[in-house]
Amino acid sequence: MPFHDLPIQKKLMRASLLISGMVLFVTCTTFFTYEFFKSRQEVKEKLETLGKVISANSTAALAFDNPTDASEILSALKLEPHIESACLYNKEGILFAHYPDSVHLTSFPTKPAGEGYFFSQSFLDGFQPIVLGDKRLGTLYIKSDLSDIYDRFRLYFLITAGVIAVSFLLAYLLSVILQKNISLPVLALVETAKAISEHKDYSVRARKYNKDEVGLLIDAFNEMLVKIQEQNMTLSEFNTTLEQKVKTRTSELEIANKELESFSYSVSHDLRAPVRAINGFAAILERSHSDQLDKEGKEFLHTILREAGRMGHLIDDLLAFARLGKKEVQKTMVDMTTLAKETVDELLKLDSENNATKINVKTMAPALCDAVLVRQVFINLISNSLKFSHNKPDAFVEIGSLEEGGVVTYYVKDNGVGFDMRYYNKLFGVFQRLHSYEEFNGTGIGLAIVHRIVTRHGGHVRAEGKINEGAVFYFSLSSLIPVNH
Amino acid sequence: MPILRRMIRLGLIFVLLTGRTLLCAQTAPVAVEYQLKAVFLFNFTKFVEWPADAFNSDQEPFVIGVLGGNPFGSYLEDVGAGEKVNGHPLVIKYFKTLDEVKSCHILFVNKAGITNLSDLLSAIKGRSILTVSDASDFLRSGGMVRFYINSNNKVQLQMNQDAAKTARLQISSKLLRLTDKYEPK
Repeated sequence: MPFHDLPIQKKLMRASLLISGMVLFVTCTTFFTYEFFKSRQEVKEKLETLGKVISANSTAALAFDNPTDASEILSALKLEPHIESACLYNKEGILFAHYPDSVHLTSFPTKPAGEGYFFSQSFLDGFQPIVLGDKRLGTLYIKSDLSDIYDRFRLYFLITAGVIAVSFLLAYLLSVILQKNISLPVLALVETAKAISEHKDYSVRARKYNKDEVGLLIDAFNEMLVKIQEQNMTLSEFNTTLEQKVKTRTSELEIANKELESFSYSVSHDLRAPVRAINGFAAILERSHSDQLDKEGKEFLHTILREAGRMGHLIDDLLAFARLGKKEVQKTMVDMTTLAKETVDELLKLDSENNATKINVKTMAPALCDAVLVRQVFINLISNSLKFSHNKPDAFVEIGSLEEGGVVTYYVKDNGVGFDMRYYNKLFGVFQRLHSYEEFNGTGIGLAIVHRIVTRHGGHVRAEGKINEGAVFYFSLSSLIPVNH
Repeated sequence: MPILRRMIRLGLIFVLLTGRTLLCAQTAPVAVEYQLKAVFLFNFTKFVEWPADAFNSDQEPFVIGVLGGNPFGSYLEDVGAGEKVNGHPLVIKYFKTLDEVKSCHILFVNKAGITNLSDLLSAIKGRSILTVSDASDFLRSGGMVRFYINSNNKVQLQMNQDAAKTARLQISSKLLRLTDKYEPK
């Protein structure tokens, strides 16, 4: 997991351990480097001092040509176990005395070289001129192993390792304690927030630990919770009253609607008998007694018959409309193209005067709907179109579908008389007519039925029109149907 | 005849300049033993401290005297040429008799040229002169340092510390390490 995605506790832990580790590393490296150079310097200085002492002591031995004494002086070096070997050269550069006796003479440099001490891989050696007054008496060669440095380094390493281990442990323990100071309040806050989002209990309060920024955050958080709680309270109160109101209104409306429906149903039903009687008797009168009527009387009788028939139609339509409210919508997959074509054929059979109208049924998307009801929609819309366009010389009606925002919309379009968009509100109302009965017959219920059916399917109906240019009626059968159908 | 005169003069200078070398070349070469002893005599100046009153002034030379014949040839001069001892210029003097020994700091007594050592040494007793010789009875007679050849055929030193002490000479411990102690019986 990348560092920035780690939990805050681990992040703090790692940060503090990393910092202390870095500090320890740098400190120890510095210490080590310092000790490395210092101990080298020390070992070198020690050897130099030793060389000087031996040189000073061996002046007489060299001056009086006494190698025995010189060897004796050199043998004092055995007190210094790190000295591997040493030898003296006289002023002619000839090996004069050496230490220890066991070392073969060939292992010494054959001639004294330049003054000074130098480190090599595993030893330190160098030449020290032996001078008395201003006279060069000879040269001392001395060679020390570096086990002194290595021993010291081993010790330093152990100490450093110990220091690092202890410091790291201390740093770990301290950061465990100190990070709690930061992480605990944050974690507690997170827990609280989680609990709130899971249980939606806004009465919980986060506990404040310190007065730092996290403390401020917790204060702000708690304040926010108070606000949320208050708002929730008002909201739920408001909701309850609103629900109550909606319930009352709905039930009131339902009652009113039912009353209205049963009223209109009974009225229509009750009106049917007298209208049938009027119609029946008027027909008998026309059939059996028309010869007793003059021309005017015949005309009146004809009008009575026509109007009584119209009345009967009205009542039938009204009853159909009222029944629509009770009928259940039974949805099946319907091939809308076929349905529209069948409807058109039926309508043309019934009314042959529309044969001149050019009717174009396009291929449409199928729909999940009640076929009987939607057939009614097509009947109403197409017959409307035929009715309002058959006066035109090049009348045409087009039926099709299109897709608008994931919803399939069907339309019926004509180039008939159209309508004035100012009266659009009246278009789908019961008994609302935009044209006179004399101009175009009809009960004024057709579009109301269309509206009711479409609405009961969960769809929408709308219309566009212009006077003398035609009208388009759009309807959809559900607010959403799958696009890829 | 100025040219002839000049030639004679040049010849004289040549003889004077080269004469000594010629003379040395003529004498027998100095034995290695004496070459070493000459160096030792000079080295004594570094390991022995003379009292301040051994010199009358800072400029007074430091004298290494040789009594009773010179066994070193020119070697002593070669070793000590231009040297200084604690600021005193080093001078080598050859004495024939004891009477000639006046200002002197190291006196080498050639055993070949001296018959009566005791008299000689008692004559200079009390003076701060480091007496050195290769005579076998030198220390018994009151001398301070004796050269001798040991079994390895090396020149060794033997010292009569009491005599040096009497002469108020301080011998460096480094030198003492190298010397055999003389124990009077």
